[in-house]
Parts: sequence; C-alpha cells; structure tokens
Amino acid sequence: MGFTHTILLSVMLYLPILLISSKEVREKNENCNTTESERVQYEFTTDVVKSQHIITFKGYYPRSTRENYVNAALTSAGITDWKIIKRNNPAKEYPSDFDVVVLENAGRKALEALQDHPAVRRVTAQRQVTRSIKYVKEDECGSGGCLYSGWRNYRGRGLHSLRKTRDNGYTSRKLLRTVPRQITSVLKADVLWSLGVTGEGIKVAVFDTGLARNHPHFGRIRERTDWTGEDTLDDALGHGTFVAGVIASKADCLGFAPDADLHIFRVFTDNQVSYTSWFLDAFNYAIMRKIDVLNLSIGGPDFMDHPFVDKVWELSANKVIMVSAIGNDGPLYGTLNNPADQMDVIGVGGIGFDDRIAKFSSRGMTTWELPQGYGRMKPDIVTYGSGVRGSSVNGGCKSLSGTSVASPVVAGAIALLASGVPRQNLTPASVKQALCSTALRLQGPNMFEQGHGKLDLISAYQFLRKYEPQATLSPNYIDLTECQYMWPYCTQPLYYSSQPTIANVTVINGLSVVGNVKEVSWHPHLPHGVLLSVSSDYSDVLWPWSGWLALSFTVREEGANFDGIIEGHVNVTIESHDDTGDRTIKNATLTLPIRARVIPVPVRSRRLLWDQFHSLRYPGGYFPRDDLRAKHDPLDWHADHIHTNFRDMYRRLREHGFYVEVMGTPLTCIDTSLYGALLLVDPEDEYFPEEMATLKKAVDAGLSLIVFADWYNASLLRHVKFYDENTRQWWIPETGGSNVPALNDLLSMYQVALGDRVFEGSFKLGGHPMYYASGTHIHSFPEHGVLITAPLNDQGQQIISGEKPGAANGKTEVTQPLQVPILGLLQTDGDIHDYSNDTVDKVPKSGRLVVYGDSSCLEGGTARNCHWLLLAALQYAIVGHVPPALKEAATPQEKRVRDVHIIPSELPRRAEGGRLHVYSRVLSPDGSGPRPIPECFSPTPLPSQPVHAAPSARTLAPRHQPTDPKSIGPPEIEGTEPAPRAWRGAGAAPSRVHPQSETTPTSLTNRAITLLAIVTAIYTVAQLWKRWGRRIRRRRIISLAT
Amino acid sequence: MNMFWENVTFDLLRYIKTMCIIWSPCFANYGLLFHKKSSHLIFRMWYAALIRFIRRRLVLGIIFASSLTYCIVSFLKEGNHRDVTYQDISIERKPFVWRTLQEHNDSNDHVICRNSVQGKNFLVDDRGYVCQRKDVTKNGCCDPEADFTERYSCESCSKSSCCVEYEHCVSCCLDPGKRHMLEIVLSKLSTEKSILFRSLTDDYELCLTKCRTSSYSVLHENSYKDPTHKHCFGDEPPGSHSGNKM
Repeated sequence: MGFTHTILLSVMLYLPILLISSKEVREKNENCNTTESERVQYEFTTDVVKSQHIITFKGYYPRSTRENYVNAALTSAGITDWKIIKRNNPAKEYPSDFDVVVLENAGRKALEALQDHPAVRRVTAQRQVTRSIKYVKEDECGSGGCLYSGWRNYRGRGLHSLRKTRDNGYTSRKLLRTVPRQITSVLKADVLWSLGVTGEGIKVAVFDTGLARNHPHFGRIRERTDWTGEDTLDDALGHGTFVAGVIASKADCLGFAPDADLHIFRVFTDNQVSYTSWFLDAFNYAIMRKIDVLNLSIGGPDFMDHPFVDKVWELSANKVIMVSAIGNDGPLYGTLNNPADQMDVIGVGGIGFDDRIAKFSSRGMTTWELPQGYGRMKPDIVTYGSGVRGSSVNGGCKSLSGTSVASPVVAGAIALLASGVPRQNLTPASVKQALCSTALRLQGPNMFEQGHGKLDLISAYQFLRKYEPQATLSPNYIDLTECQYMWPYCTQPLYYSSQPTIANVTVINGLSVVGNVKEVSWHPHLPHGVLLSVSSDYSDVLWPWSGWLALSFTVREEGANFDGIIEGHVNVTIESHDDTGDRTIKNATLTLPIRARVIPVPVRSRRLLWDQFHSLRYPGGYFPRDDLRAKHDPLDWHADHIHTNFRDMYRRLREHGFYVEVMGTPLTCIDTSLYGALLLVDPEDEYFPEEMATLKKAVDAGLSLIVFADWYNASLLRHVKFYDENTRQWWIPETGGSNVPALNDLLSMYQVALGDRVFEGSFKLGGHPMYYASGTHIHSFPEHGVLITAPLNDQGQQIISGEKPGAANGKTEVTQPLQVPILGLLQTDGDIHDYSNDTVDKVPKSGRLVVYGDSSCLEGGTARNCHWLLLAALQYAIVGHVPPALKEAATPQEKRVRDVHIIPSELPRRAEGGRLHVYSRVLSPDGSGPRPIPECFSPTPLPSQPVHAAPSARTLAPRHQPTDPKSIGPPEIEGTEPAPRAWRGAGAAPSRVHPQSETTPTSLTNRAITLLAIVTAIYTVAQLWKRWGRRIRRRRIISLAT
Repeated sequence: MNMFWENVTFDLLRYIKTMCIIWSPCFANYGLLFHKKSSHLIFRMWYAALIRFIRRRLVLGIIFASSLTYCIVSFLKEGNHRDVTYQDISIERKPFVWRTLQEHNDSNDHVICRNSVQGKNFLVDDRGYVCQRKDVTKNGCCDPEADFTERYSCESCSKSSCCVEYEHCVSCCLDPGKRHMLEIVLSKLSTEKSILFRSLTDDYELCLTKCRTSSYSVLHENSYKDPTHKHCFGDEPPGSHSGNKM
C-alpha cells in the first residue's frame, strides 16, 4: 500500500514539469500556417549561391587588410581566379569581419586554404533567401492548430475561435514584425486612466469558459459562477481567461477597465459544450445581479432560437449593455452570428492593426428578413481583433485573433468609459449611439463589413459625457450611389418597374426602453425627387431601445425614361414616454437624407429575376449544404441571396450588364413579361399550382428559365442525418441540396426530369475546369434538346455503401466514372419540333430552358466556380444561340439514347414522413397540400411632400471630427478624483489599493520553486539528523564506555 | 563543529548539482552549455553518480516525503472551497423575507417602489400593481388610480400558473393568497443547488425571477415548451396544462 502510494505520488511530483514541457512541444507543433493572424504567410526558401562564399574573420579589419588575408591564403594554395564582391554601402569605410568571395572553379582546395588562415574564423556558402507573402486559407490549421475552429456540433452557439499568433515560428531567419503594442494604448485608454477613469464600479459579466481564481492579472473578480454542472469554475481552454484579460487585466498585457468588477459566468464546458437552458439561467442571474456590461464572445447561426433571442432582448430591456462577437465565418457573406446580429446588441467585427477588415470577420447583411425584406447593417462597429495580446491560462500573455478578441475590446472600452460618465447617461442605446456615431470610417470596406467603422474610444467618451437622450438611425443616411460604402446598393441603379430596393434602417431609441414610430414622411427634393416613390414599414413598438424601419424605393412611371440623380429626405418621428415618471411624452424627429441614381428601364433581355421566395434554409429546419463533402459545416445557412453567398455571381452578372432583381414573393405577383430569364438556383421549397400555370404562360410568352438544381435522394437523406447535441435530437434533412421532386413537378411540362442519383467529380467543360460537388443528373430530356454529359463518380453509392464522404477523395473506388448527363438546353415550345438547326433570326417566341445539376459552383468560396457556365446559359436562354463551348461538348444527336433512362436511375420521391411542410412557405402547416396562394402585397407609397433644397454635398455621411485626446477633461462625477499614477507597463494605470481583493500570484513556476524549497528543507533536516544522530549515538557509546 | 558545517555545505552543493541533473531534461540547452567539451565522458560519470544517488534509501525517502507534503498541501488548498464550487466569492447574503400584506400596502408618500424595468407594454411594482408604462409615477410605483392599473392581476394566466405576459405573472404571483404555494416552490428550489434562487431576498424578487423564462421553459434547447404561456410562477413547468383561463 505504502509503496504504491510512493509511486503514485512521485508521479504527481513530476507532473507539473511534464506539463510544462509538453506544452512547449505542443506550441511548437502548432502549425497554423499563419505567421500573422490575417493569414498572411511568409513563404521562405533558401538557395545556395554557387561559387560564392562568406569568409568570416576573427576580428574587425579594414577592407585592405581583409583583402590581403584572402590574397595570402589563396596565393599560397595557388589559386588565382577569385574576387571579392565589393559592398557598396555606408559601412564600407569601417572595419568589418566578413567578405564575400567569388571562387570561379576552385573547389575544396581554396576553401581549405582559406579555412587554415589564422585570421579566418570560418567559411560558409552564400545563401539566397527568398521570402514571398501569400494569403492562406483559414481552414489550413492543422489538427492541433488554431484554437477552437468552428462551432461544435455544427449548429448551436460556439465559442468564437481565437487564433493563435505564432510568436516563434521558424527556427531559421524570419521577418520580424513590429512587436504588438498594448491594445489599450493603441486605443488610448491610458488617456482615460490618467484622468482617473479606470472602470471602477462597473459590473462586467463575462460569459465564457470560466477563469482561475487566483490568476495574477486580475484583482477584482467579484464572483464566479458555474452553469454547466461541471464541478469547476476554472478555465481549462484559455478562451475565458483571454477575454477577461482584454477587459480587465491589470498586469503585463493590460485590459481596458482594470478596476471593473468582474462577474465570471462559466457557460461552456471544457469540451466547449453549451446549451440554451444554461444561458437562460445564467442570464436571469445576470439580470438579478444588475450587470452593466455583458460580453458574449460566442455565437451561432441560429437566430430562430426564440428562448435565447427573447432573453437577450430581456437583458437589454433591463439596461444590460450587450456586446457580442459577429463571428469568425468570413470572408463569406451572409455569415453573421447570433446574438451579435440582434439590433439591440452591439455586434463587433475584427480588423487588423493595419486597419483592414480581418479575413475571418463575419459579414453581410442579416438574413432574418428574407425573402420579402432586406437585411440590416451589421456589424455595428469594428475594432482590433487580430494579433491582440491578452492573458493566458498559466499567468502569462499570448497573442490571439478572432472576433472573440474584438468583442471584449469593445466591452472593456465600454466598461472604462461607463465609469467616467454619469449613470443616467448609460443605457444600451446611449452606449451604442456613442460608439456608432463616433466610429471612424475605414476607406474601402462596405457597410456590411465595417458597420459604422472603427472604435474611437476617446470620442465615444466625449460623446457620452455630454449625452442628451436622443434617437438615432443606423445607417444615418442612405446614399444609394455611394460606392464602396453603400455596397450593394451602389452597384445597381433604380429604374421604373423594378422590384423595390429596400433599406433596412435600425432605430436606436435613447429616449426610453419603449418607443413608437409616430410618423414617417417623404420629402423629395425638387425638381426630380418626386420621381421616386418611398414606402415604409416599421416595428409596432421600438423595444428594447431599438426597432427597425424598412424603406422601399421604387421609381414612378413618370421616371421611366429619366436618367440622373434623385435626392430627398425622410423624416421619422419617434415618440417615447419619459422614464422618469413625469408622464411626459418625448418626441424626436430624425432626418434621413436619401440619394439614388435612376436610369431608364433596361431592355427585357438584360433583366434577370432571382428566385428568393423558394429558398429555404437553416435555421428552422435542417437544410443540408449543397456539397455533401462539407461535413464540418453541413447546414445551408448563408441565405442563398445575391448579396450574401451568391455575391460573386451577382458581381459577375453585373459586370456583364445584367440587371438582377430579387423575387421575394410568389411568381404570380410578378410581371414576368419584363424579364429575360428567371433564375431558379438551389430551390428548397415547393411551388404553388398557380405559380406553375403562371410560369407556363410566361415561358410561352418568352421568359426563359435557368435551373441550377442539386442532389436529392430519399435514402441518402436518411443517411446524412446526425444527432445534434445542442437540441438533443436527431436531425434529418428536410430536402436534399435542393428540392428536386418539386422541380420535377415544375419541369414536367417540358418533359424534363432530374434523377435521384448523386454524382461528384472533376471534369473539363468547354475548356473550363469544373467541379461537380454533389449534384443530380438529368433523368429524361426531350430529344430535340441539347444534352451535355461529363464523366462523374457515383457519390451517392459511395456514401450509402459505407465509405465516408469525407474520405471519398482519398480512397477512390475502382468504379469507372459514368458519362452522366448534367446540362440540358431546350427550346420550349407548345409542340415538340426540332429547332436545333435554327438560326438566330428564326428564334421562336417562346422561352428556353437550361438545366444544370449542381448549384454549389455558383456559390462564393468555391475553388472552381462556374460563372462562365451561367453566362453561357444566359446567352442561350436570351438569344437562343448555343455557345460554341457548349456546342462542342454536346452529345451528338445520333449517339443520343432515346428519351428516358439516359443512365439507369429513378425519379426522386419525396421522403416519407418528411417535415418540409413545417418550414415551407407553400405547403400548409398541417401537411394537407399547398396553402391558398398569399395575396400580393403592394406597399402604399408615402405621400410625397416636395421641398426645394440645394443639391447636397458630395457625400451625405455626416462629418465627425475625432476628439483630440488632449482636449478631454476629467469626469464630473463625484467620488472619482483623478489620481497620479505610476505603474509598470505602458502608460498610466490604476492605483487604488483594494486590500481585500489583492491576490498572491501563483503559477506553475512558483509552485515548482515552493516544491524545490520543501525538498531542500527536508533533505537538510534529514542530513542534519543523520550527522547529529551519529554524534549523539557515538557520545552515548563513549559515555557508556567510560 | 567546523567539520560539520563543511560537511553540510558539501552535501548541499552536491545536492544542487544533482538536482541540476535531475532537471536537466527540462533545461537541455542549459546542460549542454556546461558540458560542451568531452561531454560524453562527463555525462557517463554523472549518470553513474545519479543512479547511485537515486538508489540511496534517503533520496527515495525524500521524494516520498516531499510528494506527500505537496499532496497534503494541494488537498488542503482544494478542499477549502470544494463545497461551494457554484460560487466561490461569497456575496453577503440577506435572509429571505416574506413581506406582509401591510408592507405591500404601505401607502406612505415617501415609498419608493421597485418595478420590473423591462416591460414592453406593462410594468409591475413590488406592491403587486400592474400598470401601463405611462402610469408609473416618479417613485417607480404604479399609479393605483390609473384606468388600467390592476392589483394581483392574473389576466393572461392559465390554471397551471403560466401567463402570456410577464407582468401578469409577477402580479399574480405576488397575491398573498398564493403564498402557501410559493413556499412549496421555494423550498423545492432551495434544495436544488441553484445559486439563482439562493440569492433571493424577498417574495418580489422570487416572483420576478420565477416568472422569467428559464431552463424549465425550453424544449429541444431551441424552442419553448409553450410558446404563449411561457411565464410561470407555479410548481409545474410550462406546457403541462393547456391554457384554461383563470
């Protein structure tokens, strides 16, 4: 028993040491491929330069002396063809300890001779070092690489990954970057510290992975609570420590508000698991504790998690200032995370120290409002989130990147300035107004990337000090002509008969937690302003502290031929009851300047209609991604909008002169005669029977139809189900990549059908490399159509037969690729006639149909996009001319297998017991078939009240002068006297002593030292005893003897 | 005596040297720095010395003793706050107080009410009055004379003590007639380890907290068990009774 104890305990003794060393090894192995967190990589190659050698001398000698030495050495060896490369630099006049010698064809002998010379230390080969900078994908982090990449379990809230910046990457030479400064001094927090503003008295809650009790960087941890049921409060991951450090560290890597009271809520387990219910209880506790600022460096795509979303609103309503990270899913658009995308929350994006948007920062509009509406602007502001230094778990500092870092920067900054302003000036609305209206706009990024701009702490402080309750709008002007900031509005002008252009404005109401929009009025500026028609829609109640105001712009019929700029302004009156109990009603009228460019109506063949209405997506149901290999992110959650994940495609179409309009209503509400083609890309929903009839008529009247479908197979659907830990239930996809059975219903009127097999593979089409990422195939096609095949692998078979789809590319099965029909071009007509030989001028009146089996190649972020194919398809669809690239690839008519069963396959059937009707806009929720078709909604335009006004300035953006840090004064609140400060580290720092909260720093090294001391002590005692004991014994013996 | 101190210093020196070797795997570079020349020979010598040293009974004893000390120390440290892992830095806790009806009724002019700050349409004060936001007086109380002000209103509540409006839930919960039920609720809650309910100080706080949506309200972690009657003060979680009006 005793012996086993010994072994066990001695293992324990060495454990800390092992931990240290293994940690070192791990850090070295960490292969993020990133030397900088924006994933700029320095590629580093060295080559030996032939015949050149560096001779290093043992001392510093003038040039002539060195030349003499070399000369002596080489002549003694009988070598003559050598020369010293002259260095023409300012140091040439001074003694040096090396020379570069060119030895043309002398080999070892010369080197040995030089080496033997007494004044020469060594001879080495000259090397050429090439460094190149390239961007690497963020996914390239190795297995042990970037910390916490992605959300766990695909959905649900995840910690926003912090990426580790490598401090010591290459063992050889590397470019040294400037050492990251204290983030606090970059944002000039030390100016506020020197005024005595240090975050004192502000309760900051950190919802994260916990924090160690005695971390040396923190002095004011007021409370730590655990909500996970794990028996610990400490942080095992480092995420919570880092976040808390950026907010309130008072040593080494400084935080913003060192004297703020920290309330640590541990809501993530060591395995990064978290549940909505934990958050709800923890949030309730935060309300009861009357938290001032709450940081959530977390997020997920599920904005339809109503209990969570409602609870965040409830917190805001209770005056808790919510700050959250916008997400690390950039640079794709449509990747905003909840809760940062909520209008009451301050959503923070990340930039680097070079003031460029960090690649990882999520961006794009919010997607709650689709398909009828348009997303609001998010993030609200951006700040440094790349390579920021903060506290690490073991007591030191480390550099990390991620919006997880940017969020606490803002939370800390808020805590800091909150402690310097009067309490009544602090509401979620006022703080958001302060940050947004003083933010510095970055040149380049658009408003869906940078929001209002970069955080300006000092100006925000100034703003908040002199704050008067007010309401503001975000964005605070709408200039549909301003590129890049007003992307995508500036990319496509307005014209008569187009689908309305919608701006989603957020009202931030600082008057009270509850308010109303009383009136919205439109004041076009004469003479041309009256051509623009504006209609508005807004939240019934502005709660909590905020609401939305949607303005849709259309051009009046009188403006059908107008070409020019239109100006005007919208006045919004906000009404709120005073919170002080005076029973007074406060009013605020806000002016929103508007500018738009109007062009004459484009010709029909240039106008395309993008079907947004039939696109369903996560959250809500499980709608799988179009690429089955995307196992790490299996949900289709980027909204499939031309301004989110189909942004690149939209840009390409605009470059080619097409005007793309978004259809957010059923097809029956659209005047299809205005459009050249309807784009059905990746539709998930069913179709109303009325829509099919409308479509039939429209195509007969000349509308072309372009379909980019995706995979669908009922048994595969059951196969890709997964158990979702966050909802504790099985998730079975509601459709495949797209709803092929519904598409088949639609296409059946043209004798076109798509099959149920799933194919994948790389091939070449018309000279373009293509990748077919999990797509369907053409099952049957009329004989007179043009059909194009490609050699593809049966991915569905591979998955069902057990081979993991992720490993499909690693272990290619021996099965031969099939020639799969994937693209069909068809001249639709009432009766089947062969029009394939017709010339352009004999193009029939009815529209054409183009069907392709895969839509992932049109999405952003794909390696091999097929925008060219879309353009080629449009060329055919609109002009009726088969592009040569496709003509060559087409299967010759005589080789065509007749009609159906081009390859053996079945028609896909709708999955039995599917729950699509729960999420569908077409099917009725009780599953009894399609619902009655919704009435077409036509917004009532605001009555225009024209005014005479001078043309506005070139930019409508209100000018905001950044505050000079020297000009700001100390806070005028009692109890915060400015105090002289002297503190190690950068700048001034808090000086107040808090006896009860002083903690002794403990770290692993300290423990090791303590241990060493104990060991020494015991050893000494033992030795002493040994000697003394012997002596005593000897004495006894002597005394006995005597 | 002199002899003894010499011995001790010698032993200490030897000990330090040996420790250097024990730790040398951690400081590999450090070690190399010292033994650059003829390192092989020295290494073997030291290795032999090390083995001999470790085999000594005394050294084994020391390792055991120090491990034991470390173990005890760390156990003591951990053990100190083992029982309060939910919350380690205690905030001064007041005992729970059931306010009497008289306290509710305290119609002193200087009375200052707490109210449920958050409401979209209504507010409820700590006397149990629900009123519209505009009818809140300067001291935070609902104006009892206002048209729509009601006391202990269960207007939107169902039989299972679940309400549509949060404010009705709180007001209904504050009804002195419900005290018996709340006592049961509270006793049940306090047996749980919930810090949330352990830090309550009176019935108003209990009702404010109990009526909020919480982990008891969610189904599948992303939806409500009952999306309409989601604010409950009773014993049962929402959704267990369907909404008969009270």
